[in-house]
Amino acid sequence: MITIEYWLILSSLLLAIGAYGVLTRKNAIVVLMSIEIMLNAANINLVAFSSFHVTLHGTRDPSGMVFALFSIAIAAAEVAVGLAILLSVYRRYKTIDVDKINILRW
Amino acid sequence: MALFAGIPIISIILLMPIIGAIVTFTLGKRESYAKYTALAFSLAALILSIVVAFEFMVEPSSTEATGYHDGRRFFNYQFSAEHPWVKTLGISYIVGLDGISLPLFVLTTLLCTLSVVFAWDTKSRPKEFFGLILVLEVGVLGVFVSLDYFLFYVFWEVVLIPMYFMIGVWGGPKKDYAAIKFFIYTHVASLAMLVSIMAMFFQANTGSFSMESIALAGSSATGPRLFTAGFQLVVFAALFFGFGVKMPMVPFHTWLPDAHVEAPTAGSVLLAGLLLKMGGYGIIRVAIPTLPDGAASLQIVMAVIAIASILYGAILCLAQKDLKKMVAYSSISHMGFVLLGFATFTEIGIVAGVFQMFAHGLVTAVLFMMCGVVQHKCGTRMIPSLGGLSKSMPKASAMMTIGFLASLGLPGLVSFAAEFMVLASMFQTWGLWLFLPIISVAITAGYYLWALQRSMFGPMPEGVEAMHAHDVSWYEGIPVSILIVLIAIFGVFPAAMFQFINPAARIVFGLLGLGGG
Amino acid sequence: MNILEWAWLIPVFPFLAFILISLLPKKGLWWEDGGGYAIAGAGGALALSVWVIWEVLNGHTLTVGAPTFDWLVIAGFKITFGIWIDQLTAVMLLVVSIVGTLVVVYSGGYMHEEAERRRRYYAEIMLFISVMYGLVIASNYLEMFIFWELVGLCSYLLIGFWYERPAAASAAKRAFIVTRVGDIMFMAGIIIIFKYVGSFDFGTLFANNAAATTAAMPKDMLTLATALIFGGAIGKSAQFPLHEWLPDAMEGPTTVSALIHAATMVKAGVYLTARTYPLLIHSPESLLFVGIIGGITALLAATVALAANDIKRVLAYSTISQLGYMILGLGAGGYLVIHGGSEAGYAAATFHLMNHAFFKALLFLCAGSVIHSVGTNDMRLMGGLGRKMPITSITMLVGALAIAGIPPLSGFWSKDEVLSAVYGAGEFHFTFFILWAMGVATAFLTAFYMFRMWFLTFSGSARSEYHAHESPKIMTVPLMILTALALTSGAALFIGAGFKAFILGSLGSIPVEPETETLGEIASAVFTSPFTYLVLGLVIVGILSAYRIYYMHGFNRTIFAAGIPGKFQKALENRWYISKFYDDFALVVVYGFSKLADLFDRYVIDGVVNGVAYLGARTGGVIRKAQSGNVQRYASIVIIGIVIILFFLLYVLPGGA
Repeated sequence: MITIEYWLILSSLLLAIGAYGVLTRKNAIVVLMSIEIMLNAANINLVAFSSFHVTLHGTRDPSGMVFALFSIAIAAAEVAVGLAILLSVYRRYKTIDVDKINILRW
Repeated sequence: MALFAGIPIISIILLMPIIGAIVTFTLGKRESYAKYTALAFSLAALILSIVVAFEFMVEPSSTEATGYHDGRRFFNYQFSAEHPWVKTLGISYIVGLDGISLPLFVLTTLLCTLSVVFAWDTKSRPKEFFGLILVLEVGVLGVFVSLDYFLFYVFWEVVLIPMYFMIGVWGGPKKDYAAIKFFIYTHVASLAMLVSIMAMFFQANTGSFSMESIALAGSSATGPRLFTAGFQLVVFAALFFGFGVKMPMVPFHTWLPDAHVEAPTAGSVLLAGLLLKMGGYGIIRVAIPTLPDGAASLQIVMAVIAIASILYGAILCLAQKDLKKMVAYSSISHMGFVLLGFATFTEIGIVAGVFQMFAHGLVTAVLFMMCGVVQHKCGTRMIPSLGGLSKSMPKASAMMTIGFLASLGLPGLVSFAAEFMVLASMFQTWGLWLFLPIISVAITAGYYLWALQRSMFGPMPEGVEAMHAHDVSWYEGIPVSILIVLIAIFGVFPAAMFQFINPAARIVFGLLGLGGG
Repeated sequence: MNILEWAWLIPVFPFLAFILISLLPKKGLWWEDGGGYAIAGAGGALALSVWVIWEVLNGHTLTVGAPTFDWLVIAGFKITFGIWIDQLTAVMLLVVSIVGTLVVVYSGGYMHEEAERRRRYYAEIMLFISVMYGLVIASNYLEMFIFWELVGLCSYLLIGFWYERPAAASAAKRAFIVTRVGDIMFMAGIIIIFKYVGSFDFGTLFANNAAATTAAMPKDMLTLATALIFGGAIGKSAQFPLHEWLPDAMEGPTTVSALIHAATMVKAGVYLTARTYPLLIHSPESLLFVGIIGGITALLAATVALAANDIKRVLAYSTISQLGYMILGLGAGGYLVIHGGSEAGYAAATFHLMNHAFFKALLFLCAGSVIHSVGTNDMRLMGGLGRKMPITSITMLVGALAIAGIPPLSGFWSKDEVLSAVYGAGEFHFTFFILWAMGVATAFLTAFYMFRMWFLTFSGSARSEYHAHESPKIMTVPLMILTALALTSGAALFIGAGFKAFILGSLGSIPVEPETETLGEIASAVFTSPFTYLVLGLVIVGILSAYRIYYMHGFNRTIFAAGIPGKFQKALENRWYISKFYDDFALVVVYGFSKLADLFDRYVIDGVVNGVAYLGARTGGVIRKAQSGNVQRYASIVIIGIVIILFFLLYVLPGGA
């Protein structure tokens, strides 16, 4: 049987991959994509807990899936805003290399 | 009280400068009217405060020495008003006057009005300058009348802002440094005070910030006495630091010379004449009565610091070449007498200390105004560059001489009674240690007369002569003359002021007896 | 109507004159730019004083029970101002009123060329006279102290009258500061008394032979307090070691020197000591101290006068020396009171006070006359003035004879009384014998230098070009009046009941034997004592020596310039280097210390403040480097933080599960 642990491990792996991507990639768009991966990891987690709720606690609880739906919508909005910011930054600094965009320093 | 029954006269007097400031700031293009509006409002406040003073004399406070009347009122205040402000936090608007705050109250309105006159010819940004004087007046008046800790703190902090701007905008060459130093230094001290206030509030647990309720809960003989000895020691030390920086006390005094040297004359007058008194007032109003055990434990420390200030300030004056810096250090020395009077824990000392605050306010105003005159007419304040001013400015020379003589404690002028009584109380408490502060009497004479001799007498150096130094202008001469007349009157008849202070001081002294060692 | 109750009006006349002279416009100033008002003020005070003195002579005094005025009510203590008129007050009133009025009249001529400045002069002189009167009639120590300081203020203003002269301004400052040192001691002394007794009033302190005071104060405190009060007298009466301000004070106009620094203000210290007698006699150590200071001062000042070339300097040192006599007399007199119940010393000292005031004022005004006509103070440039200024010459001769102590002039009687009192005190304490010898030596020196001065100035031939003429009547008439007083004031010892019986009353409740000597006995005591003749002999030797050295030709004065006498001469010329020592001390020690303190303040204390600020700025400068601007850096720190917190929450807190 596929127990919940498998799904949790999957989501943590995805979170780690996403975190690694956020922290190390140079290309800003790849960073945004990694953030999406992290969000998806969280979603998987939520859905997993929601679907296994019957098995673990006996009652049905759809709130995890509802939460996941919210999360997807907000992720979409956030990506839109993020890409818009990225576009403005690109227009100004002609690059999307995160190492090069460090104006807000000491 | 009969005249003002039912009228919240103190609040009205507080309102005068507020409205005046608003009017002055919003004058728009007609900047030249700034001085007139400022003068009008501050004069109104002055007249009202003098009337209040005379009304106060009708019944100058009860002379009972127990300190607690009908279990509710701490001191016997007149003209008091009480309105709840922020109920959930226990903050109320409580104001009142008693014998200790009345002289300072009148001193404030007087000095602010005279400063407005003295600064009559301010050319750059007059409306801001006069507006700031009025804001300062509000702050200082508020400190002297408020009987709720939160209100007290608010007004205390209000005072910092106009002074900062006065120094920072209209000041001398190092004004930025001096203004920032003044602000941060005294602000840090205020924070210490704030922490203490909070500590007292929480410890007293009355849910109200009013000074009396906290004091009654903390250290009264009839109440619960929630302030333990250790608590009192720590809180008193913090309060002493907070007020001591303002006074200023050695070794926390170094903001004063810079602030004074760089400030414009009106700013210096108000700084030395009023802001320093706030420190002394705080000690006698807040620190000592509310925390008598803490004060008793630190009595020696207070005395040592006071004597150090007296002597150190005086000795440093000898080495100064800048006239204004010399007067600044002499302020440190004279405020040392105030602290010494308080530290002796005798009734004489307390009365003398309060009187010295009043006396010093008058005298130091004259001194700084004369420094301003010298600066204005001769272009320099450096004593070695001045000389022979008696010939070209006889009136100024006479005024300066009188000012210096008043400051060195010549009998017949106001400082003498205060200093003499402080020294008498010093001997009462600590015997022959009297000889330490008494040395300053000679040193003070030394530096003042040296400065006089160098600047007023002797031959004139070339540079000054070329300036064709004119004598005092009318707007400089009138405030100084009024102050000199007051100095002479209170010097010859000090009883007039003492009759206010005595009953209030007796009450403070009674509190010490109850709680102190 | 008891005129004594109105005695407080005495200072009011000159004070009114002061106000009028200061505030009236120029037109209203009438004669001599205010001189008229001055004479009126001084004259009014004189008239009232004379009336008061007359009353006192008739036996009326006003001590306790005089009208008072509450000056200070503090914490239950009441300090009142009142008046106190007794025989000692009367003596002081006599001196101040007569000399004061004569000096003011004299000033009409002396200050004539000062033009606009006369106004300031007369105003300041009037202020001085009024506060001096106030000092004399004061009824408690605090009131006296207040007037004491005000007198010092007037002295400051008047010494520095010609303020554009740096020497004058400096001398004024020096006078004020030195007397302030004395004032500090005075202040400390009365504060000590106040703590124990709770009052400053003479009435309270002195009643019943100071019973209340001695009961309340421990013995060592009383000794300290009285010694400190005497310290004030040391300052004001220019005794060693606070004497150097007086010669420097000669920078002021000579009328000022005559009034303030010869006849009135400097007497205030002697007056204070005499007034404190009821307390002093309970403290023999203080009395000994008083006597020693007096004796040392007398001899020291006399030696310096030997070498002075400025005519006013000679007179200044002579004043210091004579004041030393008075102080010595008071010190010895105290011992006589304690051990023998005799008021001899006290009476002698006060008698000498009175006489000295007259002949010293005379000498100074004569010197003023000389300076006014010759234009210089330096005696080496004078000579031969006797022919040109006969009146001045003769009056000054009388003054010199008086101070030297030739009978029947006043100085002889009073000096003799003082010296015999000191000798008498020697019985009770050996030191007084030594002091007596010093007093006798001083008498010799006094005669010598006084006549040296007279011969150098008036006899021989002129040593420089000058145009001298006799002074106008307004100046010579006061001289003549003072001469008459110098000749006759000695007779006060014998008129009526005699001075000694008179002054006895002012000792109040101190136990003294009533004066039983008849006037004849007094005179015969003087003339039968061998010491009288000893002193008189020395005086005559002194005068003759001066005659030989300075009048007669052919004496080689250069023997004084070389070798050991030369060193001595140099020391005298430099006033025993005392002044130099004080100047150096003030400059190097005090000023140096203050400069050090200034550096300390600016670099150490302020250094800490600025250091804290610098530290804050540096710390900020370092920490801000953490803001790299690199978002990923920030994010990694966040993640590491989360991991740590999670670790903490899950493992550490539950106890390492």
